[in-house]
This record gives sequence, C-alpha cells and structure tokens, in this order.
Amino acid sequence: MSGAMRFNSMHFMPYVYLPDHHKDYKSLWVSFPNKYYDPEKGHELYNRYLKELVLADQLGFDALVVNEHHNTVYSMMATPNLIAAALVPQTKNARICVWGTPPNFMLPNRLAEEYAILDVMSKGRLEIALPLGTGMEYWANPVNPATAREKFKESLKIMLQAWTEDGPTTHYGQFYTYRFLNPWPRPYQKPHPPCYVVGTGSPETIEIAAELGFGYASVFVTQQRAHELNENLRQRAAHYGHTLRPDQLPLLTFVYVAETQERAEQEYIGHLQRFFEDFARTSPQFLAPPGYLSTDQLKVRAAMADKLHGGFDFAAISKSFFIAVGTPDKVANQLGEWSRWMKTNHINCVTHVADMPHWKTVKNLTLFAEDVMPRLRTRAAPALRTAAE
Amino acid sequence: MAKFERETYTIDGVKTVVYSAGSGEPVVFFHGAGTVDGFDFAEPWTEKYRVIVPYHPGFGESGDDASFTEMHDYVMHYLELFDTLRLDRFNLVGLSLGGYLAAKFASEHAHRVKRLALIAPAGMIDAMHPMLDILAVPGEQVPGLLVSDFEVLKKRLPEKPDLDFMADRYREATTVARLFWERPGDPKFMRYLHRIKMPTLIVWGDEDKVIPVGQAQTWRKFIPNADVRIFKGAGHLVHLERREAVDEVARFLS
Repeated sequence: MSGAMRFNSMHFMPYVYLPDHHKDYKSLWVSFPNKYYDPEKGHELYNRYLKELVLADQLGFDALVVNEHHNTVYSMMATPNLIAAALVPQTKNARICVWGTPPNFMLPNRLAEEYAILDVMSKGRLEIALPLGTGMEYWANPVNPATAREKFKESLKIMLQAWTEDGPTTHYGQFYTYRFLNPWPRPYQKPHPPCYVVGTGSPETIEIAAELGFGYASVFVTQQRAHELNENLRQRAAHYGHTLRPDQLPLLTFVYVAETQERAEQEYIGHLQRFFEDFARTSPQFLAPPGYLSTDQLKVRAAMADKLHGGFDFAAISKSFFIAVGTPDKVANQLGEWSRWMKTNHINCVTHVADMPHWKTVKNLTLFAEDVMPRLRTRAAPALRTAAE
Repeated sequence: MAKFERETYTIDGVKTVVYSAGSGEPVVFFHGAGTVDGFDFAEPWTEKYRVIVPYHPGFGESGDDASFTEMHDYVMHYLELFDTLRLDRFNLVGLSLGGYLAAKFASEHAHRVKRLALIAPAGMIDAMHPMLDILAVPGEQVPGLLVSDFEVLKKRLPEKPDLDFMADRYREATTVARLFWERPGDPKFMRYLHRIKMPTLIVWGDEDKVIPVGQAQTWRKFIPNADVRIFKGAGHLVHLERREAVDEVARFLS
C-alpha cells in the first residue's frame, strides 16, 4: 500500500438548506436551532451523498472518507459508522475510512466492536482515525473537555488492548474499569485496521501518534504548519523506533477540476466561500470549551483567529491551504508538487463542499478520476523515491 | 491591595498565595470562580480583624493542580493551609463558589468555624430558583451578568480585548470545568448542611443574575438559624456594589 499514489474522496455530507437569515447566527454549530433541519430534505441528501461516495469507488478512487460532527449543518454524520455500514455492501474496492468517531464519545469497547464489525463485513477494507473531537463536540456531548486528553489516551489503550491481546483481559484505569474485556468480533486486518490520529498538530497529539507508530491526518492547518507537522511526526516516530511510510501522512486537499481554469473557478469558488464563511462558522467559545486547550495554545489560536478575520479571499486562502482548482493539468501538477514537498503519496481529496450541486460533484469526481489520477499515478515513481529517502 | 502582605506557601505541592492584613480575630475570605473583583473591598474589615485571603489552586496567583476534580479536594487543601498558618478557629466568609466552599468546609469541620458569612453562595440545587450555568455563557457576556451597575466592574476590565486577560479567565474556567462540567450540582452537599450550627449570615443582592436571590430562603431551610440580608438594586457581586454589605458582614462577625 505504501507504493502507488493513493487518492481518497472525502465527503462531509453537509445539510445545505440554510434559512435565509442564517447570518444572524454567529455559529452554525452547537446551538444553531435544529428546527431548521427538515428530515425530508435530509433523506434526499443522504441518498444523494451516498451515491456520490459509491460513484467515487466506481471511478477508481482508492478510499472513501467519512467523519463525525455533532449539532451542525457542516456534517450530517453524527455517527459515521452508520454511513460506513451503508457503504460496505455498495462498494467493491475502495477502502472505507471512518476518520472518525472521537473515542471519548463512546464506550471504548463498543467503538472497538463497531470498527471490528465494519472491518469483518468489508473483508478488511476499514481504516480508522482517532480524533480528540473539535471543541464544538464537547458542548454537544456530556464529556469534560478539561480531562479530554487523558480520557482519549485511556480509550486508545483499551481499544488497542481489545484488538491485540487475546481476551478476556482486564483494564483498571482513571475513567474505565473492564473486568472482562473480550469483544466479539475481532478485526479482519491484523493486528487491527490501519489507524491515524487526527488533529491540528498539537504536540500532545503528535506524541500519541509517534509513540504508537500511527499515521496522522492533519485538518485545517496551513501549508507551512502541515509541513512542519509531518517533519515533527517523522522525527518523534523515529524516536520511538517507528519509521513512518509516506502513505501514513495523508495530505488534506480541496480539489475541483473543470475544462478551463476560468470555468473551474467560476463553478467552484462560491461553494468554497460558503464552506469557510457559513458551514465552518462558529464562535471562539465553541471552538475552545474550558480546558480543551492549554492557556498557551489558547493565546496562539486567538492571535491566529484575529489574522484570519476579514472577508473571504480566494487567492489568499489558496496559498494558506492545499486548494487545487483548475484544469486536470494544473490540478495534477499542483498535487504532484505538494506530495513531493510533503513527502507523501496519500492525497485525501475533499471533492464536495458546502452547497455544491450533484452535477458539479459528479463532474469533479469524474474529471479527477479520469484526467488527474492517471497523470499522477504514472508520475508517482520519482516522487516516491524522494518520499522514501 | 496596599495594606495586604503577600506570602507564598507550598501546600501539598501546590503554590498557594495568601494575602493578609490587619490584626485581631482571624477572618478567612474564600473568593469566587473569577478573581476579577479583587480583594480591596475587604480593607474595611482589616480595621478590626486579621483578614486572610488565599487564592484557591487554579485561580489568580496560586498554582494549578489538575488533580483537583471535586470540592472536597479544596476542603483538604484548606485543612493543610490552615494547619500551616496555625489557624485553629476562625471566622469564615465566602463569595459565590467560595461561599459553596465555605459552607462545605463549615459542614465538615464545624468546630473550626466561629462565624460563617455566605455572600451569594453557589452550590444549592434549587429547581425553583436555578443558578445560571455560567460555563455555557460566552465569555464576553459574563461581566455584564455579574453586577447591576456595570460601571462598578468596568474599571477592573481591560479597555480593549487583551490576550493575557482572556487567558487568565480561560484558566479559571478550566479549573471550574474540572469541578463542574459533567455534574454542576452535588445533592450530597445539601444533605450535610444541617451540621452548620454556628452563627451564620447570608447576604444577597436582589438583582443577582447569576444565582437568583430566591435561593436565600432555600438556604434558610437548610440552616434555620441563619440571618438573611438582602441588598436592593445589587447584583451578584453585591460586595462591590454595596459598601453596606461589607459593613454588615463586619458587624455580624463582631
């Protein structure tokens, strides 16, 4: 798996029918009233989004990525394992990536069981990511943000013990007591499905991934920070005796492909703008519940948030994040360049954002699969030699 | 704070800063969940008493201890501090969260508390007059909820958004979250309040937007011999808004 270039199609499954006056709400997370959720529209959206994920499998994407968020229009996947379970029988080749359920919001044995079920059902196509969960999720779930990191570490230990040691075993910890840890079934893949830690590159999460030899899926970090993060993680993993493969460092990108640069920008930018301005809109309070961050990290992020304020600027945001929009040639070149710089062969593509309609998603997926992926796959060999050095 | 002397102690590994001033019978003051209101309001007490004002672990100038996850940890901390200070028996005054702590300390160690004054104390589970869940309130809205007359508090707040001030409040909110995020109330606390038999005064502002003044009568049900004094037009920080409230506590202690 560490050889060829790998392409994921990631979907957030947003609820796109925002009320006209939604700008009156500072946050479309946590407290945005759920009276604006119409289940009939939700039904149509689930069906449509599942079709888009299934299409990505048929077009030859290597993996499908789903994830978990609560109380928000940003994502309708409060329990992504349900979505993954729906995808398993409808897909053939793609790996199913649940990136993922924060272990803090489930009993760890139950999460280990659900992932094992998906892995067995899919004959070993499951990959999982282990997020702490955004600050917003801690307002939605009855879990203390001030002890979230300790609890997260203990949950991981329990899940790994459940997967790697013959049961029954015991666990006596700060948060959980297991007198008979003995989950049935066990994962199809040995010792367990590939695991990534998800985060924004805080020293704590990097250390967790490094110690376990896990991959790391960074989210919403700038290009420069993502680069530093990969370097840090490689070093820290080496410290624990692990050599990370390039595919363990997925690169999160926003992609949109069209016939010409002008058309790509014309078709895409409005959706990207609404993604950043509306779907991702939340308040400092919800981003940082008490104890979720150290006071030092709080200051760093508050200073950063001040810089990000101001209107949406496509040119600026394209430089900050990994956003590839344009012709197949341009997108392929851009991704090739980034993958060499980031020393990875694993491109995690967000192929649908905000209120992008079905036809654009189908067009984007198709052009990407037919005109971008082949260009990069044939070119992959030299890039990988660099990555492996 | 010109009159107060600052001392630093290490109590069970936690840096503990204690301000004290005056002479006479000791009066210990437990501050609330934020330390913006300062301690200078207590200066009038120093004319007759030795006033001792510690910063709780996780607040103000004292150090942090992430293992403090329940109010009982603070009771144990203060048993150790009072032993160190050789304070055997003293008057105890507590404000808001500090009122909760003072009442809890007094119910568990009644023989050490001579007189008890509770200023808008937290801790009561009162379905008829529920306390505002201040952890759910955006930080920028909190100051406005603490007082009736905002001018009283305004001079203690930074004029512009200030990262250090914000971080200090976030740190104190973190300490509060460790104690109360999952369970804002402890029903057992009320169960043992009847052990408070020493003379007790309860002080409240009738415009308290954080803990409704209606709770004053609920406290009296648990501590029947308590006197209640209500100050009109004052909010949660009644001690800042009404000098008479500070004087009333001084009178009660004598």
